[in-house]
Amino acid sequence: MSNTTEFEIKKPKVDLNYASEKKPVASDPSPEAKPLPKVTIDGKTYEFKPGDTIMQVAERYKVHEEIPRYCYHPGMPIAGTCRMCTVEVEKAPKLMTSCSTPAADGMVVHTRSDKVLKSRTGVMEFLLTNHPLDCPVCDKAGECELQDYNYEYGPGTSNFKEEKRVFEEATTKKLSDQVTLNMNRCVHCERCVRFTDDVTKTNDLVMVNRGWHKELEATTEAGLTNDYQGCLTDFCPVGALTWNDFRFKKRSWFLSKKPSICDRCSKGCNIEVHSDAEVVYRYVPIHNEMVNGHWMCDSGRSSYNDLMNPMRVISPLMNHQNGLHSTTLQALLGELSIQLKNASSVQLVIGTDATREEAALLKDKFPSILGKNVSVSYFNGTAGVTSSADDKKMDNLLKMKDLTPNTKGVEEQGISPLSQGEVSSDIVIVFRNGRAGIPKMKAGQKVILWGVWNHDEIKTLSSQTVLGVIAGLATIEKEGSFKNTDGIVQKFHPAIVHKGGALSAHQVVNMWKSLN
Amino acid sequence: MATINVSKKYTVKEKTYLPAILIGMKITMKRFLQGFLLRKHDTILYPEKKRDYSDRFRGMHFISVDKNKTENCTACYLCETVCPAECIHIVADERDEDQNPYGVKKEKKPVSFDIDSLRCCFCGFCEEACPKDAIKLSTNYELAVSSREEAIYDLDHLKREMNGRSEK
Amino acid sequence: MESSLVFDLTMMMAKILVILAGTLGVVPIMVWFERRGAAWMQRRVGPNRVGPFGLLQPLADVIKFIFKETFIPKEANKFYYLMAPIIALIAPLCALAVIPFGSKAIINGQEVILQVAQMDTGVIFILAFAGLEVYPVILAGWASRNKYSVLGALRGSSQIVSYEISMGIALLSMLVVYGSFNPHDMVAWQQGSLGFLPRWGAFVNPIGALIFWISIFAETNRLPFDLAEGESEIVAGYHLEYGGMKFAAFFMAEYVAMIMASGLLATLFFGGYGLPPGMSELVNIISAHFGFGAAGMQNTKAAFEFISFATKIAVFMFLFVWIRWTLPRFRFDQLMDLGWKILFPLSIINLVVVTLGVYYFNS
Repeated sequence: MSNTTEFEIKKPKVDLNYASEKKPVASDPSPEAKPLPKVTIDGKTYEFKPGDTIMQVAERYKVHEEIPRYCYHPGMPIAGTCRMCTVEVEKAPKLMTSCSTPAADGMVVHTRSDKVLKSRTGVMEFLLTNHPLDCPVCDKAGECELQDYNYEYGPGTSNFKEEKRVFEEATTKKLSDQVTLNMNRCVHCERCVRFTDDVTKTNDLVMVNRGWHKELEATTEAGLTNDYQGCLTDFCPVGALTWNDFRFKKRSWFLSKKPSICDRCSKGCNIEVHSDAEVVYRYVPIHNEMVNGHWMCDSGRSSYNDLMNPMRVISPLMNHQNGLHSTTLQALLGELSIQLKNASSVQLVIGTDATREEAALLKDKFPSILGKNVSVSYFNGTAGVTSSADDKKMDNLLKMKDLTPNTKGVEEQGISPLSQGEVSSDIVIVFRNGRAGIPKMKAGQKVILWGVWNHDEIKTLSSQTVLGVIAGLATIEKEGSFKNTDGIVQKFHPAIVHKGGALSAHQVVNMWKSLN
Repeated sequence: MATINVSKKYTVKEKTYLPAILIGMKITMKRFLQGFLLRKHDTILYPEKKRDYSDRFRGMHFISVDKNKTENCTACYLCETVCPAECIHIVADERDEDQNPYGVKKEKKPVSFDIDSLRCCFCGFCEEACPKDAIKLSTNYELAVSSREEAIYDLDHLKREMNGRSEK
Repeated sequence: MESSLVFDLTMMMAKILVILAGTLGVVPIMVWFERRGAAWMQRRVGPNRVGPFGLLQPLADVIKFIFKETFIPKEANKFYYLMAPIIALIAPLCALAVIPFGSKAIINGQEVILQVAQMDTGVIFILAFAGLEVYPVILAGWASRNKYSVLGALRGSSQIVSYEISMGIALLSMLVVYGSFNPHDMVAWQQGSLGFLPRWGAFVNPIGALIFWISIFAETNRLPFDLAEGESEIVAGYHLEYGGMKFAAFFMAEYVAMIMASGLLATLFFGGYGLPPGMSELVNIISAHFGFGAAGMQNTKAAFEFISFATKIAVFMFLFVWIRWTLPRFRFDQLMDLGWKILFPLSIINLVVVTLGVYYFNS
């Protein structure tokens, strides 16, 4: 516990999906006494670490807003092909690409001189010769780097009078079930190609032909096959690659963006929840070098669908004449209190997707409310995982075997796993947030469900007696903290406001207490 | 002296009111005779005769269509974004290939496009924002409907050829 | 004797029929004229869809009124609520009975006086029934159990009571001149000429005529004295809760009262059915030309008298409409000011002056 680093997720200041620090400044291993080299950018002198490029120095000290870039991405190898980031370096004969030029001691750099701006205008004009004017249709509009940079640096007019290039087949080409390619919009930055080459190492994208006919293609018939396809659509600077799940659902400027944590696996990727009117439209990763870097996996990205599922139980349900019926929480808790008092033994099973605070609350405070001895245990439910010791990496990037976010955090409360994965008491209370599995129960077992459930899950319990369902808040709707598989504790705050009848565990416990 | 006296002293002649009444009666009699004998009216017989409105008059909305009767709208939400009354509601989806004669231009289509004319303030911002010249305001000012549901214009209603629309 | 009774009864029925048909027949024409006249004065077109020139508009209105739901407010006093429009319509119709619309006709060798009820106290009878007009206003307002109705009724009744006094005194000044309550005597007095003018009450006593004329506007609740209604502040006034034919009854009553008041004004101040100077000679010429006997000549004269009387009424009716669409509504305090501070003293002074004048001329 004492060795773990605890920090809160913060919204990045630059409203892009990544920040370009390769490593957090705090983790610099050698704050030695020897003087650091200095570089002068736009009239101010900055210290830097040997090996930093001009771009990295400028990013770190936030010189101006940012140096414009298309091909450069801090999570990928440097290509230096787009020429958008060129800056003027004194005593250098030509403009230098800031992304690939290492800063040197005594170097004097101008990022916004007339020469630089003229160069950028020229680059923009060339990029726009073939880029279609279909921003109204394009899903990227509003968060498009081409739009932003054109607004800032673009020429406003074009000398290009000829017919624009149209890729007939690749206008709306499905690269996979999740990603659609519109080649007309592509500016050939090749971030996507480098991503599959160097980050996922699946090599499933390649640029074929050259010049006017340069075209992105999948290397195999199956198209894209990696598990990080959503990231392609995040960092694509234009609308060439779009995420089918989000495609045409909402324009980006309507979305309100709040940070939270993905609860799809024990990695705990930092995400930004994009929602409008408390309806979630997508998850987007936030850069956190210690946890997820710049990326997140596709199953985590799509996991918001479980919360927006219309089958989710969002109001308290009570068993009445062999059917579950909507009721008030007070009525439900009153009824459950009687049932629990009369029960010979009560068992509480906490899913490993509960937050640390919830686990502590349920373990320490909840039994005293009932006035009864309650045996508390946790249950993971992922196939092959009973405790955090079973967790292991599923690939070279982010995916973990444990599909619940907080196994370590629940273990830390001194709760032990459910022995044999089976319950044995008269009444069992199952608390979970929709990610942990449902423990095996014998037929006719009386059970109280608490947390995030949906009706399909409840239907699988048809041989048991469900006394009631207490609707709870999902991860992005509540406040709390998770301890991920690497032992990092991450706090989060509500990203959306729950509009149904579900209440947080604290509220339910307080109400239960006031009833007794 | 902080008050301003705005009351007027009336003369005896004015106080009888009779001259003023007679002047008024003279005017109404003149009007009566003009209406009765010369058929001089300031009003018009509305449904048969209609007033000429300015070409810039902003009346009922319509969505322009191409020669295949496909709407020019690409569901870009710009009108919905700019609308100060928040009366436009669009649901977008992928356009089918066969419905897509211009290839790249129309990959997106509105599945539903509703304008709540009861909320609309006819400011014309949507027309100005539209990049495709799809939504326009016609000079048709006959917006009366017999139920609230009819006042919400759906896509079919908006695509219909509008009476008196200007093609300029 | 038997045949005489039958004849009298027949004639009586015929006269009542003439009055009823004349009055109630004029109402729809007046409604149409009021609406079209108003439209013309306001540079509008007015009702012109139903029938030629929109003349069938009143008929369409009546059909609408008949088929409307008969609605009585739940809390209303049902008896008085239903009684009010009936009284409103009956009272002015009764008053019309004593207004002569011609001197006499000779039918079947017998004289028929062209007046429904011959009574020497005719004017008193008219005043009595004209005074009854305040009751439907109060009854309707109170029985509807509606705040606005009660307010309208209170305003309307206080207005009618206030102006009835001036009207009565103005009438009294004319009674001094005529020396009779009998309308026939009054008409007879007004025959002859006053220089180049006919010897009409209006020329003998112009102030009295003016006061009487103003007062009948207030009596009939016409603009500018329609305080009992007042759409802007009390919705519709005393008849707010009335719909369908009950409202139509109020509506008709207003026009019947106008006809009655116009008839009274004509009889008292404008020579009644009397022919204007020179017309008697015309009657003689026509009779001589066609070779009528004494009876024929009298009947011709009666016909002209009726036309003369009807024309006078028509002119006053037009004035009613004309004034209505010229003047705005009075404020309540202005109305009371005019009634009590101007018309009332003026009518008293006028009465004294006229009395002295009559004394001077008679002695």
